[in-house]
Parts: sequence; C-alpha cells; structure tokens
Amino acid sequence: MARVNDPELTKQRLHLVVEEMYDRIVKGEPPTMTLPVRTKNNIGFDKKLGVYKYGKKRSTRDATSLGSAKNLLRALHVVEFIEEMIEAGKSSTLREMYYISEAWGLGKFGSQNESNNLAEDLEVVTSCLREDFKLRPEEDGARMIGNVTLNELNRRGQWMTINARDDVGDSGYGLPYNVEIEKIQLKEHDVKFLMAIETGGMFDRLVENGFDEEYNCGLIHLKGQPARSTRRIMKRMNEEWDLPVVVFLDGDPWSFRIFASIAYGAIKTAHISEYLATPSATYLGITSDDILAYDLPADDLSKKDIEALNAELSDPRFADGWWQDQINMMLEIGKKAEQQSLAKYGLDFVTDTYLPEKLEELGLA
Amino acid sequence: MADIAKKMASNQKQIAISEFFEKNKHFLGFDSLPRSIITAVKESVDNSLDACEEARILPDIKVKITKADTKKDILELTTEDNGPGIPQKSIEKVFGQLLFGSRFHAIRQSRGQQGIGITGVVMYSQLTTGKPTHVLSKIAEEPTAVSVKIGLDTRKNKAVKSEQTRIIWENDDLTLKEHGVRVTTKMKGKYQRGRQSVFQYLRMTSIVNPHAEITFVDPDGETYHWPRVTEKLPRKVDAIKPHPHGIELGQLQRMCRESSDSRLSVFLRQNFSGVSMRAAKELCEAAELDVSTKPKSMKPDDIRAMLEAFQGERVVGGKVVKLLSPPTNCLSPIEEMLIKKGLSKTIDSKFISTMTRAPTVSHGNPFQVEVGLIFGDGMAADKPVEVLRFANRVPLMYQQGGCLLTKSIESVDWRQYGLDQAGGRGVPKGPAAILVHLASTNVQFTSEAKEALSDNEIVFEETRKAMLEMGRGLRKHLEKKKKMAKTREKFELINDILPAIAEKSASILERPVPDLAGSITKIMSAVICNESTTWNKDTKQTDVSITLFNYTSRARSYSILVNWPEKSDGKMIGNERGGRKEAMGIWGWKIETLEPGEKAHIEYSLANLEKGDWTETDVFFRGSQDVIGASKLDEKMLEEIRRQEQILVEADKEMPADKEAQPTFDSGVVEGDTGQTTLFGGDV
Repeated sequence: MARVNDPELTKQRLHLVVEEMYDRIVKGEPPTMTLPVRTKNNIGFDKKLGVYKYGKKRSTRDATSLGSAKNLLRALHVVEFIEEMIEAGKSSTLREMYYISEAWGLGKFGSQNESNNLAEDLEVVTSCLREDFKLRPEEDGARMIGNVTLNELNRRGQWMTINARDDVGDSGYGLPYNVEIEKIQLKEHDVKFLMAIETGGMFDRLVENGFDEEYNCGLIHLKGQPARSTRRIMKRMNEEWDLPVVVFLDGDPWSFRIFASIAYGAIKTAHISEYLATPSATYLGITSDDILAYDLPADDLSKKDIEALNAELSDPRFADGWWQDQINMMLEIGKKAEQQSLAKYGLDFVTDTYLPEKLEELGLA
Repeated sequence: MADIAKKMASNQKQIAISEFFEKNKHFLGFDSLPRSIITAVKESVDNSLDACEEARILPDIKVKITKADTKKDILELTTEDNGPGIPQKSIEKVFGQLLFGSRFHAIRQSRGQQGIGITGVVMYSQLTTGKPTHVLSKIAEEPTAVSVKIGLDTRKNKAVKSEQTRIIWENDDLTLKEHGVRVTTKMKGKYQRGRQSVFQYLRMTSIVNPHAEITFVDPDGETYHWPRVTEKLPRKVDAIKPHPHGIELGQLQRMCRESSDSRLSVFLRQNFSGVSMRAAKELCEAAELDVSTKPKSMKPDDIRAMLEAFQGERVVGGKVVKLLSPPTNCLSPIEEMLIKKGLSKTIDSKFISTMTRAPTVSHGNPFQVEVGLIFGDGMAADKPVEVLRFANRVPLMYQQGGCLLTKSIESVDWRQYGLDQAGGRGVPKGPAAILVHLASTNVQFTSEAKEALSDNEIVFEETRKAMLEMGRGLRKHLEKKKKMAKTREKFELINDILPAIAEKSASILERPVPDLAGSITKIMSAVICNESTTWNKDTKQTDVSITLFNYTSRARSYSILVNWPEKSDGKMIGNERGGRKEAMGIWGWKIETLEPGEKAHIEYSLANLEKGDWTETDVFFRGSQDVIGASKLDEKMLEEIRRQEQILVEADKEMPADKEAQPTFDSGVVEGDTGQTTLFGGDV
C-alpha cells in the first residue's frame, strides 16, 4: 500500500478537527472532538484490505469535564504546533513535543503518555500518519541482517545504498523511524523469506550460526512489541517484493499479541492497519504444541498471563480455530516457554533442528 | 548501747521507706528512669493546674529539665507557676508528708488521686540523689518570697527544712513576681522523646487545658511553647454526696462509723445523693432495719444488709427501691469549642469535629464523655491515628491497648467515615488524631498504675456513640471537600479552559472568537453555590460569603440556609440581605428569582468569636433544582433542632435558680479541708 505525503491535505484534515470545536461553541454547545472507539470491541476485519480496522463506534469527547476540556485545548495546541513544523520543514519527537508543551500554559501535558495518546488521537481522526505530522517516536527501529539492498536518504540529502549483509557489522542494519518511500527505497534482494525474531539473544544466536546465509533469509529483530517502522518495513518488503514473513517469538500470551499486531493490526493503530499489517505473516513458534512436543523447560502461567489469554479468546483477531486451539491448550497445560528454552538441547539445536523442521512444514526449507 | 539501738531503728525506718518505694514504685509512677521524670513533671504540673483552678487564676506554667550529671542519669527539674503560692507555714505539709486519698464523702471530678502527690517527688529525689528539693513560694499578701530546702526525715516521715530565708523574687524582666511557686529538684531519670515522654505529657495537658500557658525547655535547650487559647477557666465543680449505687462496703462502714446522726433514715437522706425521705424509709424496710437505728451502732451484718438494699438485692414489696439519679453538675467538661481550640493549637490541621455528650450516670457515678477528631494534611496518612486519652483532664500515656477508651475507638468501623481500617477493626489509619476525655467523679482504672480505664458497658456505649457522631462529621467534611473540588474544577473549566479553546480555535481558523454564554450554560447546567468562611484579622471577625450562580437556562427560586455558632455566643452582623432565624443556629434567606446567568450574594460577619472558632459554614437549600456546593435541607433535621431548642427553653423555665456558682477569688490561699488531694488541701 503506497501512500503519498501531502502537507496541504494534512493541514486541511487537522482543520476539520478544529472546526468541529469552533462550530459547537458558535451553536452554544460545549465543544467536542469525535473519534473512533479504540478498544477490541470496535475492531473488525476489513475484507478488502485483509486487516483489522476500527469499526463504526464513535466516542465524543466533550468539554463538560475539566479533564476532557483540557484535552481539547491540548489538541488545539498540537494542531498549531504541527502546522508550524510543516511550514518550517522541521520535525520533532513526541518527547520533545511533551517538553515544548510546558509553554502551552493551561494546555500543557501532564505526562508523556498524554502527548503520545493525543498524537494517536489526531492520527485516528484525520487518517493521517504521525510522519505527516512531523512527529517522530522515541523508540528506535529494528535491526536487520540478510542479503537485502536498500537506498536510504541520509541527513545530507544524498541517497546511499546499503546491503544489509555485506555493508553492516554483526548488529545489522538499523532501521530509521521513517521508512516511507521518501526516505527508504527497496532496491534488490536475494532472500526467500523474512524471519521476525522477538528477542535479541535469539537474533544474535541465528546471526552467529550463519542462519541467514544457510537458509537464504532476512532476519529482523523486533525488540519486543515492534515499532511502527519495523512493521511498516516488513509490510513493504512483503508487498513490494512478495516475500513471505515468518514470525518466531516466545511461547506466551504476549507473543501472541505481538504476532497479531504484525499480521492483523494492533488495536492502538487500527486506523492505519493497512499500512502496517502483513496479513500473510505466519506464526512459526513457539507454539503451545512445541512446549509439549519438544518438552521445553516452561514456567507456570501467572495470573496476568491467564487474564491475557482469556481476553484473547474474545479478541476478533484470534477468532480462527487454530488460534483458539493454541490459546486453550496453553490455558490447559498452564505453561509458557521462552525462545531460548530450546537451548536445553544445545546451542545449535534451534538452527540445526527446530527451525528447519518448522520451515519444512511451511515449505520454506 | 542506746545509740546503737537508735541507729538500728533509724536504719530500719530508712529501709522501710526505701522498701515502700521499691514495692510500690509501679503505682507511684517511679518504676523506670524515663517514667520517673514524667511522673515528677506530672505531679508538679497537676498541682499547679489544680491550685490555679481553685484560686481562679489563669495558669502560666514553665517546665525546664537539664542534665545535671550525664554519667549517672541525674536530671534537674524546675517547674514554676503563677498560682496563689503556698504560705510559709504550709510548705512542709505540702511537700513533706504523704497524702493519700481524699475524704470519703466528698465526691467530685478532680485531677488528683492519680499519684501520691509532690511528696513522692521529694522522696524520690532524696532517695536517688540524697539532695533536698528547693522550693520558692510567694503569696500575694507578702512582699517577699520564702526560699527553703525540703528534705525528708525518713525516721519520722516528716519534712526537714533547711536554709530557709526570705528573698525578693523577680521575674526575668525584673518585675516583682506577684505569686507562685517554683520547685527545683534533682533526681535520677532519663529524658526520652516519643509517645511516652515529658513533651507528650505537656502537649496533651495543654490540649485539655486550653486556658493554660505552658512553656517547656528540654535538656537540649530547645524551647516549646503552648499558648493559652482561652481566657475561660474550667467551671468550678461542686462536690456531691455519694450515690447508693456506687458505694462499696468499706466506704459504707466508714461512713456509718463516723456518723453522728441519731437516725438511720436521716443519715441516708443527708449523706447520700438521690435518696428522698420516702426512699430512705424504703431502704430501711428493705434492709429490715428500723429507721431509728443509730448508724454508729450498726453491726457489720446490718451494714451488709443496707448495702444489699442499695444494690437492689433486697426489695420492698417485690420492687427495688427507686432512687433518683445523682446530680451531674459536679462535672467539668472541657466543652466542644475549647477542645477544638486545644487541638488546633497543637496540631496544625484544618478540620476538627468535636462532641460533648450530655452527662449521664453509671453505677451511681456521674460521668461525661467528650471526643474530638482532628483531620488533615499535617499528619501521617499511612500510620494509625494518634489516640489522645484523658481522664479528668489528666493525660493517659501508658497501656493504650487495654483501655476502655481505646476499645471504644476500635469498635467503630471507621471505613464508612473515610479513614482506613484493616477489616473494619482496630485503631484506624489516616492523617488524624482522636481525643477522648472521660470526666467522672469516680474514674475506674484497670490497675493501680492508673493508666487505662477498666471496662464499663455504659461508659463504653457513650464513648462509642460520641465516636459515631464525630465520624459522621468527618464524612460530611470529606464529602463537602470532594464536592468543592468538583465545583472548583467546573469554574476552572468555564473561566479558563473554555475561553482558551475558543481563542485558539478561532486563531487557527482565522475567524472571530465566538461568544461563550451558551456553551457555559450547557456545560454547567447547574446552580452552583460557593461558600467561604475566613478569619479577618483586621476586624477580628469571621467573614462569611456565599454566592449562588444560576448556570441553567431557566429562572430559579431558592431558600438558602446556613448554620452559625449561635449557641457559642457568636453574633451575626453586617447581614444586609436580612433573612430570618429558622431555628437555633440556623439562619435563612429567600432568593425569589435568580435569572439564567445571574448570581446572588449573601454576606455577613460573625463577631464575638476567636480565630479558629468557626472555619466552615454548612449551606443548605430549599428548592427543586439541585445546588452544587450546598446540601438539600433535611426538614426532619430542622424539626429536631427546633424540638431540642424547645426542650432547652422549658428546662430553663423549670430551673431558674440552678445557676452556676460565681467564681470567687479568695485570699489566694485555700487552706484546710477542701476534700481534694491537692497542693492546698488533703489530709495533712
């Protein structure tokens, strides 16, 4: 899904938000801001896009309580700030915006979380991306290793060509926060698939064992819940190069959620699922079956784990039979296992036995 | 040979006195070094307070402790008062002889009887340091003060005077001291801080004696000052006769033995309270004794029979002899307003709720319970509340857990009143202190140490009821605080945030700033009441201001009512809006029409009050639309206030003669038999 960056359109859409407030005051009503409900109860599968998007439920934030009135005022300050940045050709991080808000008087943020949420609110209402707003996340993007060549526009405005196997060290190629077309171009590749890996330890193990060369794949380190840019670059490589994506995570309820955000779209970013989600991604492991089949060292599920699993049972993204079975099985055995528990059988077990077996099932090995 | 015998005798006597102290140190209050210094301060200060009260003088008390010898734990204690002073010839008696008990037939509330008096201090000092106690005393009638050292002749159990002279006693500012006593004594002791300390004792004493000015200098030279917050002396209490329900066998035997009455019926009627002529006859009948029996010649079995009749174990015609309740004017409560002042001067917090219950009777003993609760930011929120226990204005500092007063606090589920309490039991947690005072003619302790009150169902219930009532006060306060916070938020919303939204949106869209009136009405959609009660230090008045805003789209009509301290002699002035008295302490105004967007002001000041007396005004309304910041008037409550007022008016009509005894300021010296174990009375 390619998208274009149009500053005028961004401004227009932001003005609609401001107009809603203004017009209500003119009508003698409390000002409001209308936005989709952002919970799992309001996401539904979009057949056309193949991802989960927000449904029709709308919530209205009106200025009848101090908290939401302040929120509206903050939104206005943010809109003004974004316009200023667009006009000046600058960008700032969400954290910087939080500190800049110190000067906004009554409209200043109480916490970093508030400023992050508000940026998301505006994205949702305007259907713009925060890249359009010139707001950068604090989090850094993922690392990637494999025979993949990209063009990146550097600070000096020059395109540089980087091969993520030959031009990088052991830590791989670091993805920038903006991986849109104006910043990153996909040049060429010689890999059969992409493998997304949850933990740094496992990523390094696969690099050390030369797994990317042996199996001709690109390795991406997710760093836990993946940043937007990580999901976006996978989506682009999947779409533009038609590369299969397999996901290798811990075997616990939180990993299930990470997978859902990669494959179906995250609840928080369902407004831009079509840019971020890779519906064809496959969950490789660790599955609930693996815990039993490989007799992996496992921990007991905590109370929170169990709550999370039960919540997933009613999450539309996990509605299909395979997921229901996996979740129920995990609840039944009451155990969860880490990726690195495979080391029980030696350091090379994961690259010599486990992954080849799994990939063979998928026809990728 | 005779010399040796004498010496032995003296040794023996000396041992006897030391032994006496050793054996009884627990109940004498000298069982540990930290406690000994507290006891010494306590005996001294209690004496000073009692003396001032008797002589109707506002007490000014100074206490100073210094380390005389650090290695041997020797402390020097100096206490000074502005009491009437002790005449030269009485000094020996007061400081040199053990005083025990008071005369049996004089029953009244008094501080004393909780130790052996100042003589114990003199004795302890002598025994632990071998040094006499220095006394300086001046009475108003004499130009000079007497300075004398008092030791104890342990053989004769008598004071030994030495170095007696008369000197000119000057204050620090070189003016002549008018009257007072200063006692300086060296003793073995250990100064400590914390819940059981001289500091805490004086602090607590100051709370329940708001009429006293107390200054304390601790061994580190740190000075603490608790100022006087009222000029009102405690009520002078009358002694009453014992009530048959509260008497014990030994006491009755003593009374009979010492009686000079010729007829039992007269003896009963004249020496007991609550016994009418008819009741006296019936008691005799129940005890199967002739009314003409001479009390002095009654046999032990007769006395026992009479006691049984007293206690209802012997009856007449199947009925227990009916007795009147004892009078309760023998009690001197601190009273709500003064508890409030006492608490607020020692603890810096906003909210105080107090409650003085009406006096009542348990087993023939009149008693009265008072409680106070102070709540606020000045105190730790995650610790158990501080419990301040008092019996007859004397702080109780030990054995908190075993005390009836503590148990009554623990029996309340404080969670419903806004304090934390694990499982709804035990001492609650929160930024609060709870004061509880029992005034009684006969305080029952669990042990000789006299630090914890023993169980008594009636006293327990009274205390518990007082706690519940106070708890309701706290809950109301917290609810009001919450409501006020909400109202403040709404005002911030319409006064600050909404205009900012209007301006910012207009400037982004480059359009004119829109008018806000419509939005404001929609946002508030309520009638809002703002109340402020503040002390005006220029006029020395409490200014009350109430504003009613109509933020609805319709005209409104209300009655606004407030409470005000009419009962505490407050005067309402500058009330230009008029209104009328609705009941005792309740004033009301009618606000005929309040148009949309309009506001109405009510302003008045309260005179005749001191700072801190009145800090919060409750606002009530009558009307259909809810008012934020005021409570809907409970008509039943108003009825109840009116009903109680009626009762008071009628009671006044019935007893016009029942006036409090006028305070008398006699020669400054109270000598002889006052029936109280004080500095000036007792069985010397």
